[in-house]
Amino acid sequence: MREQLLALQEQALVDLAEAEGNALDAWRVKYLGKKGELSLALRSMSKLSAEERPVVGQVANAVRETLEAAFASKFAEWEAKQAAIQEEKETLDITLPGRTRSVGAEHPLQKIIRRIEDIFIGFGFTVEEGPEVEWDYYNFEALNLPKDHPARDMQDTFYLSEELLMRTHTSPVQARTLEKRRPEWPIRIIVPGRVYRRDDDDATHSHAFTQVEGLVVGKGVRMSDLKGILLTFAKELFGENQEIRLRPSFFPFTEPSAEMDIRCIYCGGDGCSTCKHTGWIEVLGCGMVHPRVLEMGGYDPEEVTGFAFGMGVERIAMLLYKIEDIRQFYQNDLRLLKQFASLPE
Amino acid sequence: MKITWNWLGEYVDLTGLTPEQVAEDLTSAGIPVEKMASMNLGVEGVVVGLIESVTPHPQADRLRVCHIDTGTTKLQIVTGATNVQAGQKVPVALVGAKLPEKHIELANFRGLPSEGMLCSASELGLDDKFLPKDQAEGIWIFPEDAPLGENVVEYLGLNDVVMELELTPNRSDCLSFRGVAYEVAALYSREVHMPDVDASGVATVSDKPLSVRIDTALCTGYSGQVVTHLELGPSPMWMQMRLLAVGMRPINNLVDITNYVMFEWGQPLHAFDYDAIDNREIAVRQAKDREVLRTLDSQDRELTSGVIVISDHKKGLGLAGVMGGECSEVTDNTTTVVIESAMFDPMTTRRTSRLLQLRSEAALRFEKGLDPDAVLPALHRASALMVQYAGGQLLGNPVITGKNLVSPVAKVQILVRVARVAEVLGYAMDIEELEGFCHQLGLPAVREEAGLRVSVPARRPDLLREEDMIEEFARLAGFDRIPSTNLKGALSHGGLSKTQKLRRMTRDYMRNQGFDEVWTYSFVDGEVHRKLNIADDHELAHPMRLLNPLSEDREALRTTMLVPLLEVAKYNASRQWESLFIFELGTVFLPTAPNGDKGMMAPVEKKVLAGVGYGSVAKEPLYAGRNYDFFDIKGLVEGLFERLGIKDKVSFERMAYPYLHAGRSAEMLVGGKPIGKLGQIRKEVARTFDLASEVYYFEVEMEALMEMVSSHLYVAELPRYPHVERDLAVVVNRTLPVANLFSTVKAAAGSLLESVTVFDVYTGEHVGDEEKSAALRLVFRAPDRTLTENEVQIAVDQVLSQLNSNYGAVLRK
Ligand SMILES: [Zn+2]
Repeated sequence: MREQLLALQEQALVDLAEAEGNALDAWRVKYLGKKGELSLALRSMSKLSAEERPVVGQVANAVRETLEAAFASKFAEWEAKQAAIQEEKETLDITLPGRTRSVGAEHPLQKIIRRIEDIFIGFGFTVEEGPEVEWDYYNFEALNLPKDHPARDMQDTFYLSEELLMRTHTSPVQARTLEKRRPEWPIRIIVPGRVYRRDDDDATHSHAFTQVEGLVVGKGVRMSDLKGILLTFAKELFGENQEIRLRPSFFPFTEPSAEMDIRCIYCGGDGCSTCKHTGWIEVLGCGMVHPRVLEMGGYDPEEVTGFAFGMGVERIAMLLYKIEDIRQFYQNDLRLLKQFASLPE
Repeated sequence: MKITWNWLGEYVDLTGLTPEQVAEDLTSAGIPVEKMASMNLGVEGVVVGLIESVTPHPQADRLRVCHIDTGTTKLQIVTGATNVQAGQKVPVALVGAKLPEKHIELANFRGLPSEGMLCSASELGLDDKFLPKDQAEGIWIFPEDAPLGENVVEYLGLNDVVMELELTPNRSDCLSFRGVAYEVAALYSREVHMPDVDASGVATVSDKPLSVRIDTALCTGYSGQVVTHLELGPSPMWMQMRLLAVGMRPINNLVDITNYVMFEWGQPLHAFDYDAIDNREIAVRQAKDREVLRTLDSQDRELTSGVIVISDHKKGLGLAGVMGGECSEVTDNTTTVVIESAMFDPMTTRRTSRLLQLRSEAALRFEKGLDPDAVLPALHRASALMVQYAGGQLLGNPVITGKNLVSPVAKVQILVRVARVAEVLGYAMDIEELEGFCHQLGLPAVREEAGLRVSVPARRPDLLREEDMIEEFARLAGFDRIPSTNLKGALSHGGLSKTQKLRRMTRDYMRNQGFDEVWTYSFVDGEVHRKLNIADDHELAHPMRLLNPLSEDREALRTTMLVPLLEVAKYNASRQWESLFIFELGTVFLPTAPNGDKGMMAPVEKKVLAGVGYGSVAKEPLYAGRNYDFFDIKGLVEGLFERLGIKDKVSFERMAYPYLHAGRSAEMLVGGKPIGKLGQIRKEVARTFDLASEVYYFEVEMEALMEMVSSHLYVAELPRYPHVERDLAVVVNRTLPVANLFSTVKAAAGSLLESVTVFDVYTGEHVGDEEKSAALRLVFRAPDRTLTENEVQIAVDQVLSQLNSNYGAVLRK
């Protein structure tokens, strides 16, 4: 009986080795099924003696386990082979493009404005805004530029009526903020916005452009604080090693007034065509708020002082992105804009 | 303002300084030197020679042979120029000489040796527009008094450097050599020496050569000197060369002297013909309305009372500070002139010169305001120069009138507190240092308890307040001395306002939806509404207009974002972009009162989010199959509303709008108030922008959205019991909006209804021609129990019955 069982096992394993697909099922029915050969063999065990029975039973169980394990392994192997065949059939060309929606690009000027805003928000500034159609009073008079002041020549203005004009700078928001907040201080604001000058458009001039203005008013605000904040700002925007310098200048609404230059970001100060071989690039005008402006805004210049600064966003964008023609910002050529869909922010 | 190094050296000692260093120091002191150039562009070995004879070249008709005396040698030079004659003095480039663009060698012209070259002005690297035409085209003929044999570099003063100053408007004092000299003196602690103007020559006695009356407050000082026996001729070469270097064209000795003194003192002068003055009486007055004066450019100018004229009792002699009159012009026959040195109201002069479009060096200085302390010195200086260089004799003493000249102008006094200097600049300077700076600037200062009391001379009208002095100190100390410090005081809380955050979020959303951000001009063509199919009487057809636009296509303030966006689309479509998705969050300007009103009001400035899209939805052509359509742009806007948490508050209604497709456009409303619109751009409108395909547009007013956005988010309880779904396909009239079915369903289903959506809309053979089938999915749920079949059925029956009675809807078989 034992030999019979072992012979059965041997035969079964030989058959299994050959079996594939449906034949596997048939093999299982044949050998391991309820009416299969192993069951038949066991049924004949009843003819055995009581001594023989447990011994043969053990052998029979061992044979069943062996066959079941062999089947499981064979079946798994077959399944894996089937899966491989299936996947082979389903194989894609993974070099084809993904199914994506384009990522829209942020306009370069907006990108720069966002960066500048975020830097100054980090310094504790809030963001103020003001109208683009402005009264002569806020655009000029409240900034110490009375009618017929020769400095008005610096800014050729688009007029809508005798009193109404397109603002020539974001500075009127200084005057508006002082008027709105008085007598409170401190004031720490920046003002991004669009401004207009009556210039013919060319590579370096635009009748519309963008500025970011800054204003700080408070007790004991000093020109050294202005320099400190501008230095930190320049390092954040242009890099950790950025140097700045201030040069005396003139704005009717600041006194003392200064221009801020940065060390040329292309040549590092050795001199190149961008910095006209001076090693420095002018990026921003600034100064201490003129006492007259504080007075007109309802503040006592003996009690509070302040500083203000203003920069051209186009100029900074042109430097940072190496754009050479200011008109490109307003042309909205998608071949250019699409390049701004990616980092860096 | 241009200056030359040698000319400047007449007024301040420049020993030990170089032009480069002074340029750098002036620049860092706030007087930027924009350009610097040597006047000698490379002239070497050219001398003044005398032409002894000119003979024709025996072999060549076009050439002449000149025999030249250079004082030390005699040369034979062949020239092609036609303006040479014996007895003339000319620039002679010797063999071995260098010119800016030539090197002179011994030459041979048709068999005759030529030992050098006769030069034109341009060959010497000079601007020749000041020369008469024959000289500009030929050899430069020097005056008879040119010293024989002298090196022309010396003679013409070419060893000099021209610097161009870029002056800020406050530093009009540097519109003169005197002002620049004071600035240089302050930088290097040197003295300013202006020419001595007292010894101006003995005047011929005359009882009263001239009387002057000022009849307007717009003239605060008028002085005049009569000079007679004048001989009109060219001014000395050095004066011509200096004027040329600073950009002034030499004319004759009288005019050149007035200009020279203007550059020296900053005081414009005018010389006019004494004999033209009727009765020797001058009146300075405001013009009569419509008074006509012929200026010396032979134009008749119609004046208004805002203009100051110099006149006698019969006629106008000139426009004060702007231009002389033709009747009093200095001509070849003039022998006696009045030199006028006066002060006119700066704003009046500015307006007049603008009005008549006459911009001159003189007008520029009048506009910026003059120094009363320079008026008489300039008059004396010009008188002396006319005596010296034009053979003149003074007739009588100068006539001086006007309040600024008769009584001295009170000096501005500024108290500068030492403590304030540190408060403003952030670093301290002691009083000795401040005193030193005052001394360098030539400003008398005395110590007081709090600091220094500074007396400001009239030549520095920009110094009015303590801060102005602090700036002077800071710039003399150098701005590099200002330290970098941190703001004192409490930390402030920075950040964006709610609206600003939401605007950023909106722009981010748009970009994540694949829209590129653009940034367009605010100015548009004032008639552009016609391109949009908008009638002339529509509100969008009346934009605010600029009084002084640069061009017609940028003359008005945009009232809609559509035009700029379509222009961007057009620009890119012509560059082969077959699909395009762009947006801008920009400002439109809506007028609040008609144009041209005296009491014109500021427009309402609205921030509008607008977008244009057309072309393939898929980015990759591989997956292309469908073009952007109405439901894409509607979905875009709905997605934004969902992002802002206001989707349920916005409803869409059909609308008719001039530039939108009548069947594919919608208005967005909140509580009945329109907040925007979207739809397909009418094909004929798209065509005017050269856009062929179906173009979709939307615009939403940002403020209207922002108002609705909640600052809070409270989480709803999660459902505990399962929902039950029922699908109903109902047949209704084809034109019935599905939204109407929704509202009926919501009203009829009662509180158990959780949501209703549409999952299919069918038209075709299985329903009638005028019908459609809408498949609705109703979801029911109760918060406190599992719903029974019966409860749901009751609700569904109510819905069906209500749909039937409202719209005749029946269940589709
Ligand atoms: Zn550089």
